[in-house]
Order: sequence, then C-alpha cells, then structure tokens
Amino acid sequence: MATRGGRSRSGRKADQEFVSEAEEILERMREDYADLDDQRAAGGEVEPDLINRLFRSAHSLKALAGMFGLESIQDLAHHLEDILDGLRLGRVSLDSPLIGLIDEAIHTFANLLESVGDEEALAAFNEPVEDLANRIEASAKEASAGGELQSLEIDDALLRALTEYEEHRLRENIQRGRHIMLVVSTFEIMSFDEGLSELSDSIREFGEVISTLPAPGETPESQIRFSLLVASDLNVAELTEAFDFPDAEVESVREGGLAVEAIAEPSASEPAPQAPLASEQESLRSISETVRVDIHKLDELMILVGEFVIQRASIGEIAARLLAQPQNAKIGAELSKIHKSFDRKLKGIQSAVLEVRMVPMRQVFDKVSRVVRSLRRDLQKDVRLEVSGADTELDKLIVEELVDPLMHIVRNSIDHGIESVEERLAAGKAAQGCTKISAFQRGNHVVISVSDDGKGIDRAALLARAESLGLVSADTELSDRETLNLIFVPGLSTQVGVSETSGRGVGMDVVRENVAALGGAVEVESIPDRGTTISMTLPITLAIIQSLIVSVGEHRFAIPINAVHETLLIDTSEIQRSEGRKILNLRGDALLLRSLAEEFELGVSESSEKQFAVIVGLGEQRIGLLVDSLEGQQDTVIKPIQGPVKNMRGFSGATELGDQDAVLVVDIASLLEDALSRKESA
Amino acid sequence: MKRILIVEDSPTMRALLNSALEDLEVPVKITEASSGFEALRCLPRESFDLIVTDINMPDINGLELVSFAKSNDAYRSIPLVIVSTEGTERDRERGLELGADAYLAKPFEPETLREVVADLLSRGVQSE
Amino acid sequence: MSAVRPSSDEVREWDDLARSASDRGDSAESFDEIHQLLCFEIAGAPYAVPVERVREIVRMRPVTPVPRTPEVVRGVISLRGEMIELIDLRRRLDLGSIEPSRRTRIIVVKTDDDEVVGLLVDAVREVLRVSDEAIQSATGSDTGAVSELCTFRDEFVSIIELDRLLALDA
Repeated sequence: MATRGGRSRSGRKADQEFVSEAEEILERMREDYADLDDQRAAGGEVEPDLINRLFRSAHSLKALAGMFGLESIQDLAHHLEDILDGLRLGRVSLDSPLIGLIDEAIHTFANLLESVGDEEALAAFNEPVEDLANRIEASAKEASAGGELQSLEIDDALLRALTEYEEHRLRENIQRGRHIMLVVSTFEIMSFDEGLSELSDSIREFGEVISTLPAPGETPESQIRFSLLVASDLNVAELTEAFDFPDAEVESVREGGLAVEAIAEPSASEPAPQAPLASEQESLRSISETVRVDIHKLDELMILVGEFVIQRASIGEIAARLLAQPQNAKIGAELSKIHKSFDRKLKGIQSAVLEVRMVPMRQVFDKVSRVVRSLRRDLQKDVRLEVSGADTELDKLIVEELVDPLMHIVRNSIDHGIESVEERLAAGKAAQGCTKISAFQRGNHVVISVSDDGKGIDRAALLARAESLGLVSADTELSDRETLNLIFVPGLSTQVGVSETSGRGVGMDVVRENVAALGGAVEVESIPDRGTTISMTLPITLAIIQSLIVSVGEHRFAIPINAVHETLLIDTSEIQRSEGRKILNLRGDALLLRSLAEEFELGVSESSEKQFAVIVGLGEQRIGLLVDSLEGQQDTVIKPIQGPVKNMRGFSGATELGDQDAVLVVDIASLLEDALSRKESA
Repeated sequence: MKRILIVEDSPTMRALLNSALEDLEVPVKITEASSGFEALRCLPRESFDLIVTDINMPDINGLELVSFAKSNDAYRSIPLVIVSTEGTERDRERGLELGADAYLAKPFEPETLREVVADLLSRGVQSE
Repeated sequence: MSAVRPSSDEVREWDDLARSASDRGDSAESFDEIHQLLCFEIAGAPYAVPVERVREIVRMRPVTPVPRTPEVVRGVISLRGEMIELIDLRRRLDLGSIEPSRRTRIIVVKTDDDEVVGLLVDAVREVLRVSDEAIQSATGSDTGAVSELCTFRDEFVSIIELDRLLALDA
C-alpha cells in the first residue's frame, strides 16, 4: 500500500496502527455527536467547544488517513471537515439537514475502518462514499469570508491574531448582545500559567474567553502580559466586581445591549441562530439527572479529600495527646468527640467520591470487541469472542490504563494463541477458536483474565530463546511456572512469537510493568494444546488506600493493605533456613520470608527475638516480610516521587504522614518478583 | 546544532513533524511543546533557531504565538513556520501579516517541510 | 510563503559566530542577553543556577532516606504533598557532607521533563545579573556539573549545568 509518511512500514502493521488510532478518534466523535444532538434537541445554545472538537477530530482523521494513504477515508473526512468548519464558523446553521449527514459519515467511517487492509472490501465502499461526499458538497453552500470587525475598539494586533473561528465567536457574542471587554494582566514568565488559568477560569464563570493574546511585559525577560478578549452578560463594572482579580485591568471594547446585526456574519445563506427568550431558556434547562464531569475535577476533589484524611489523623493524634494529660483531659475528650464525628463524615465523603470514579469495564470491552473484529479479518482467523463481567466496576483511571495491556493480551491470544482452522481440525478441536475476556471482583481487587482454547505457549521455544540470549544456562532446571514466566522477561516475549504484538512493538514485559504501576500483578497459565489464560489482578481504586505502617530500625514504610493477607508475631527461633533462605512453616505450607532490612540494605541488625511477619501477596503468590514493629493502619494518598532517579525499585511512591513526613510506599509486586526470582537463582 | 521548537497539540502530528525534521541534513535539537503556553515557557529557556507552530491549539492559538514572538525583541529574529491544520486562506494571510516566515497547510509532504525549514535555517537571522 | 530573502556569506558567518556564542550555555537566552543567576554557597564557594529553572527556595525539612539509591540522593521530602527527591549538592560535587545548619536551604528546580527536584545547598546568597561577557566556559570539571564560570565582583561563580548534574540514574 502507498505510504506517504516517507517512512516505509509493513502494510499490515501500518494498517493496524491506523485502525487503532482512527478508532479512538471515531469513538470521540460518536460521543461528541451524541452530545451535540442532545444539546440541539434541548434547543439551547450548543457548546462551541463541542463543534470545534468534532471539527478537530475530523481533521485528525483526514490527516491520519492522508499519512497512511487511505484515500476514501481521507476524502470523506475532508468533506465532513468542511461541514463542521462551516458549523463552527457559523456559516452553516445547526438546523441544517447537513447535521444528519455528520451521523451518516461517522457510521460510514466505522464501516470503512472494518475494511482497512482489505482492498476489495474497501473498493466496495467507493460508491457509497462518493455518494455521501456528493450530498455533503451539494448541501454545503460555502460563503466567502468577510465582515468588518475593524470598527471595534480593539488593538489591531489582537484582532489580527484571531483565528477565523475566534472571529466568529466574537461576532456571535456581539449578536447576542453581550458586552465585549479586554482583561489585561501581567504575570511572571516563570509562573504565568497558574495565574493565567486562575484568571481565565474565574472569567469563564461569567462569560466566554474568546482569545488570549500574549505580549512582552515591562521587563520582557521576566514578565509576560496577557490580553484576554472576553464576552459577558456583565458589563465592565459588574465583571470587575464579580471576579475579584485586583491585578487585572478590565476595559470595555463594546457595550452590550440588544442583540444587533450591525456586524454581519459573513454568511447570508443560513439564518443566524436566534437567541432564545429568557423564559424559554429557563424551561428548557436540562432536567436530566446525570452530570458529565471532567475526571481531573474528580482527581482534584480526591486530592482534597486525601488532605483532609491526613489532617484528620493529626487531629486524632492531638486529641489522644490531650487525653493523656490529666490537666487537658476534658478538652481532649471534647476534641476526640469532634474528631470521631468528623471521621464518620469524612468516610462518607470519601466513599461517595470513590464511587463517582467507578466505571464499568464495558467501555473497554466494547473497544476490545471492535479490535477483535478487525483482527479476525486481518489475520484470517476464525475466532469467537466471549465477554463476561462487563458490569464489573473499576476506578476510571485504572480502566484507562488498562486498555493497552488488555488490547495487547487479546491481540496475542488471537494472533499466536488460536491456531489456523486446518491446525485446529487436525488437533481434533472445533474449527472456530474462542477467546474469552472476563472480569470479576475478588475482595479489594478486580481480576481481569483473557483465556483462549488455542495451542498454548511453546515452552521449548521459549527456553531455547532464553538460552540463546544467555538469560538461563542450559543446565538450569526451571519449573513449569518459571518457564512460563519467561514471557515477562524484556526482549524475550517479542522474539519467540509468543506475544509479538501484531503491530505495537511492546512485549509482555511492558504489560507487566504497566499493571505493576497500577499496583497489580499479571499471571500466566498455559496448558499445551488446551490454551492459555492471562490474568491481571488490580486494586479497585488508586486514589486513597489503606496502608499498614511498619517500621524497621528508624525507617518507616507503608504497605498497601490490599496486598496484606495477615500479620503474625513470630519468634526468631521459628524461622527455618533452606539454602540460606528463610522459611516459615505457615500452617503446613513453606512461606518464603524476606527481611525488609536486608531487602532494602538498611544496615540495621535484627536483634530482637520477636519479629512481625507481614504476609503479602498479589494473585496466587505469597511472601512474608519481616519487620520490627507494626505502627497501625492509615489512609494514604500515594504520590509519585519526582526527581532524577527514576528507578527506585521496590517503591511505588511516597505518602505524607503527619507533618511533612514522607513515608515510602512499598511496591509489593516488585518485591514479590525479586524474591521469587531470587528463589530460582539461589 | 540547530535548535527547533515544535508547537503542536496533537501528539501524532507532533511525532510526524519531529521525525520529518530529524532527517534534516544539519544536526538538530528538537524541543516539543504541546501547547502555546508551553511554548511561551520554552522560549526564554533556549535560544531557538526556528519555530514550527500549529494554529489551532487549546490555550493560545498559533497566530497569537506569532504575534508574541514578533513583538518581542528577543525572539523577533527567529524564523517561524506555521503548519496549519485548518488552513483557511484567511488564517494563512493573517499568519504572514503577523510576521510568520512561512506557512504550510496540512497535509504536506515531509520533504516540503524540510525544504522550507532548511531554507529558513540557512538564511539565518534576518533584520527586520 | 514569503519570498526568499538573499543573504550574503558575511551575514551567514556573522550569524554563525553569534550562534556559537549563545550555544555555550543551555540557559542562554540569546546572544547579548543579561543572565539572571541564583547564587548560592557550597563549602564556602559560590555556585549558581539560572533563575528560570528555580521554582522556589525552602528551609530544611524532614528528609526520608530512600534505600538503594546513589549516595547523592539524600532522600525524599514532602513539599505541600508533592514528593520530591533531594540531591545533596555537596556530595554531588565531591565536597563531603555536613550536618544541616540554620542557613541550609533547599533550592527546588525544574528538570527538563517538567518534574522538580530539590538541591541541598549550604546557603543561598542572591540573584546575580550578568552579561554574556562575564561568562566563560569552565574547563576540566571533575564532576561534570560545572560548565561555565562567571565573574562577579572579582569572584568566580561556578554555573551549574543542571541537566548534566541530574544525570545520575546509573
């Protein structure tokens, strides 16, 4: 196929890359179109951003298709872009029949995407695509740009820097009779964005920020001045009063008033949308009971709640201290009462915020299904996809991070797990292969697994590859589990073909890394000729987690409670040794023990006779961590550690306990990995 | 070593621009900014030999960035190429009026971009 | 696109000279610009970093050591809930280590990838404004962390090359 990007790629790989990116864009378009339709149906003003986003999506699709040489998609996207451009610039009215064509185009794209890689199938679309394109062209009556805004008292530099879209927004606002103002403020160049977004945000509560023009400040090397062109129902005095920004100057550019037509929209072919009457607007307010919220706002809320949680702990400490002093016991008791009530309410807020963040796995599973459909065709495999547990809920952030690993595993399963029809029939299996995705909750975790009835992982090939790379010596005896775990070794999986990613250039090692970053673990099971199951165990939420605070010498660490199975106080004499490893007899099973002091090379000796063993595990694996003492459970907000040392193996971040005290959070997944791999080499 | 600042909010386009420019005959150091604000922050940090910017971006648009750079003594002489996604005739005129040195409407061949950029780089600092 | 403007060879040569002058430092804003440097003290000697890279300066606070990291990483500090690595500049410059004093400060700087990191210094002095002429390249830096020297009030101030200083992920 033709590649225009100047870089040659293998056809299939490029197609898949294209499809997966294009699908993401299309998904966004579907959502935005649905919103557009809703807002139109409600009769109110359609959010300008929505149309702009749709326009940008169509544009990205066009550019992408162009780069990959897919002309029919490029062509259709180009036409769609035209409609949307007309809409966003006000040349096409929202009542136009063209709107229906947007929906049709989105559907057609979906069909086209399914056929990417199949020249014949694509060719079959030529006619309908051309037809749609013609209809769009026929309905779209372009008007030439024009319209004079020069009469406005706006600095020419600002006016000239407006894009056509922003110019349209300016006209639209003038037509709606809004006041047009300029808000000017100077910021330090080192830190302008915080101040500027604060300013813009507070203005947005009262109107629209049409444009933001930067200019050098008085001392150009350290200052930057921004002029914001603002449209609002409030006038200069009212706005200055309302938004409380002493350093910003507000000047009027155009007084608002009755809706005017003085500044004509460039287009005459479509009637300009009329501002609905106030009473009408009132009655049309959405009565829907759901609200769409930006996930980042929820993050902010979550961080705030997290900070409350930390402060609550300090209040609790102070109350306990007061209670312990006879002269303050009375105040202590009062404070303690308030603390308890605060605690209850905070728990309520916390769980409410957590709940809001939870989304069902369905979205991801739907996405996977679509990819499977196109894979099936590209790879010419007869595969059925079974999905269960789509209603299982997970934190939105985790769900997002999960898409890539899951997609990767499913691709592997279909590409390498499921055999060709001939092979299947020869092995006495049903002609059609089956890949199952399932999700279910297990305690504080969700388990997501992908299993297939394919040929299983070729252990001999895996071992041979590992030996040739010098990762294992020929005379090492590996257990079956250890052999299978080789697929997670960087550089191995992609080579053996066990998990070549059909186009993305990542291996199972990356999957494991991503899952570990979410505080989860990946496990693999595979039976020759029967199939492979890959399971990911993930915490339900990342936001606030309970941690067990332990101490070793003077060091304190936090262990996420969801990884802790139990804690035991053991006598050091109970610890047995085998080849230098410490083992504990745990109700008949041998449990591997690791001392945190040794693990982290803390240089503290384990002098005491009693130690605590914290039994931790993810999935099926367990180890016991030896620590000096347990300091109790705490709600913790895990923060990433910033700085040049990226590879802090063994820690997933840090959390603040009490006053400015950073405590490292132990990454159980990597500890397990280290401990169990050392077991092999010991 | 030529220092180029790419200002573009779409990661895909950014990567494509980056790879197109890496193939220039002169050695380049490319800095990527994913928004106009980021570009404003990058400008004082390094002395760039060329800026490539998109027009439609979420915070400040490319024209505003051009206007800023061309009204600031420290950056006025840096050649500026607009690569526009939307590419309306009007935006193109405005861009050049504001002082951009070149304007490319997408889609364009990477080679075209390289030619334009190589030309501007070889011309070096121009007096206004 | 605008018409090709002719440029003579002399112009190009002059331009190259100008560029190579400003290429000497990462933070150089342009050829004849004034540089603002935050000057601080380590083992009695003055050092500096470009002001643009400095986010804030804070007093010493509790530091949590991080196991299995290079010695120059003193640990992690919590700054309004942000977790930030603290680099001991004394150790980084092979000047030993001392107990924090009343004058000890943490300079929080921004790294290339928009993260932040804390630098532990003996004391903070002032912000210097120096012109290009006052800056010369430093030869033979043992630790690779000092790239340039600038003269200020008859004293040599070592300018720290942050990106090289922070390249310690070995």
